[in-house]
This record gives sequence, structure tokens and C-alpha cells, in this order.
Amino acid sequence: MRWSTEDIPSFVKERQYVDTALLPLLPVEFGDGIRQSAAMTEFITIMTAELERQFRGRILLAPSYTYLAADGANTPQTEELNRWIETMKKEKLKHIILLTADSSWKKIEYELDAFLVWMPLVPLENLDAAYKKQVISEQIKQLLPVVMDKWKEEGKS
Amino acid sequence: MSDEQNHNVSRRQFLTYTLTGVGGFMAAGIILPMARFAIDPVLQAETEGDMKAVTDVSELTENPQRFDFSYEQVDAWVTSEVTETAFIYRSGEEIVALSNTCTHLGCKVSWGSSSDHPNQFYCPCHGGRYEKDGTNIEGTPPTEPLHRYVVEVREGTVYVGKAEPQV
Repeated sequence: MRWSTEDIPSFVKERQYVDTALLPLLPVEFGDGIRQSAAMTEFITIMTAELERQFRGRILLAPSYTYLAADGANTPQTEELNRWIETMKKEKLKHIILLTADSSWKKIEYELDAFLVWMPLVPLENLDAAYKKQVISEQIKQLLPVVMDKWKEEGKS
Repeated sequence: MSDEQNHNVSRRQFLTYTLTGVGGFMAAGIILPMARFAIDPVLQAETEGDMKAVTDVSELTENPQRFDFSYEQVDAWVTSEVTETAFIYRSGEEIVALSNTCTHLGCKVSWGSSSDHPNQFYCPCHGGRYEKDGTNIEGTPPTEPLHRYVVEVREGTVYVGKAEPQV
């Protein structure tokens, strides 16, 4: 379900069925990295929207978590993000999926109490619409089982 | 003198003509829009845009296959391209096109994706299942069958219209 006035009432009504939150992580840069930052935002936004469309009955697409991109050797701050995760878990969203194209999270994945999915950025600019669609649907096809396995894991334990 | 009088229009006649004329226009002004509204549905042209071409009839088999089709949707000030998916198969002479949207909470179902139930539609979110004809299976979350598209075949091409509830 999307973060919209149209969908949220049904989320509130059907909460027992919606146990997963999808949180896009978007790095923001205003300097040299601004192109990359825009490309990542576009890519991850499309991916999360499509994922929501496939699994809308069980996934809540949260508003994107934006942060200033870590420069050089620094890694992103986990404190604030962990507060988000904690808050969502308190609201019975027991699976938290973080989707990002920013590889710096990968190094500190263990510090996050959530399921981090990093996808290498696919440059979508200059692709024509039909080809873009095909690329996205291929990516989504790979991503669907990852999410479904996450759900299954819980079923077993 | 009397000739000249005949050519003249008397005040009474002039008023009668004018009032009839103006009154006629006013009456027409009121009645015409009403008539136009009354017969409007008849004048509304049936647009071809309501039906979307999806595939060739020859592509269809007895097994449901997925077909994507897209169209433009105007929502307030945003025009967006929407892609929908239908599972289409042949059942005797009939062509059946089912929506892939789970009637429970709107996830996307697929045909035979659960290894335990290869001949059913399966929803990965909460395990909802449907028979081949779209009937929901008792004991799974959905409470109504998959919606079914209006199907039309023109010159060997399958067109689908709106998805409608089966109950």
C-alpha cells in the first residue's frame, strides 16, 4: 500500500495482513555526485513502486528515507535509521525491507536491524520507454523471490 | 390612400410578429438543450479506446498464459501509462481472460506458481488460491472470484475491455 490518503485507510483497516514495510534509502548530494544521486532516486523510486504494485496487500511503502551521502571513507549514520526501524517494528511491521542503490550501507549492514537489499544502479537515462520497462521488469523478477523467501523464513521459525 | 394603408403594418400586427418571433427563439433556447441532454447517450460515440488489443487468437492455449497490455490513464492532471496483466486461455469455444489482481488486498496472483497447487492461481502475499475459472478456494483469504475481463475477438485479434466481478 502506498503512502497516500487513498491507501492508508485500507492499511489501518487491514493491518493484520500488512506486516512488511518497504523503505527506500536515497542518498542526496548537491556537488559532483548530484547526477548519481538523481539517477539512484529515479531507479529506486521506480523499483519500490513496482514492488508495491506486486505485493500491495502485504507491503506498506513508506516515504523515502533521504540523507546526505557519505563522502569518501565515511559511512552513513545508522542511528537515525535505526530509530525509524524501531518505530516501525513497534507498529507490528515485523519485516522491514530497505531498498537502496547506495553501496555504503552494505559495509554496515550488520548494524541495521532490518533486511537490506542493495541493487547496483541501472542507468535508465537515454533508454527508450519499451526497453526501460523490460529492464525494470527483469530486475523485479529477481527481486520478488527475495522478498517471498523472507516471508517463508518466518513461516518456518 | 387605402392602398398605402394596406402596405403599412399596424401597431398590433407589428407587436404580434415581434413577440411571436422573440418568443419562438426563447422557447427554442430552452427546449433544445433539454432535448440534447435527453438524447445525449445516443449521440455518444462508442470509442475504440475502451477495448485494448492484447494478442492473437492463435497464441491462446487451454492453459492460462499471462499477457500484459498498457493504456493511458488521466488522473486529475497526471497522465500515466498503466500496465495491466490478464491471464487468458481457451475453454472450448470460449475465451476467458482473468485479472491478476487478488480480490483480497490487491497483490498480483500468478498461475501455477505454488508447487503444491500447480493448477491454481496463487497469491504470494497471504496464500490466496483460485481455481482455473477464477473461483476462490474456500479456506483461503479471498472472498470473491478473480475479476473477469470483457473479451472481444475482431479479425483474429483478442481485445479486452473492463474487468468485472464474477459474482
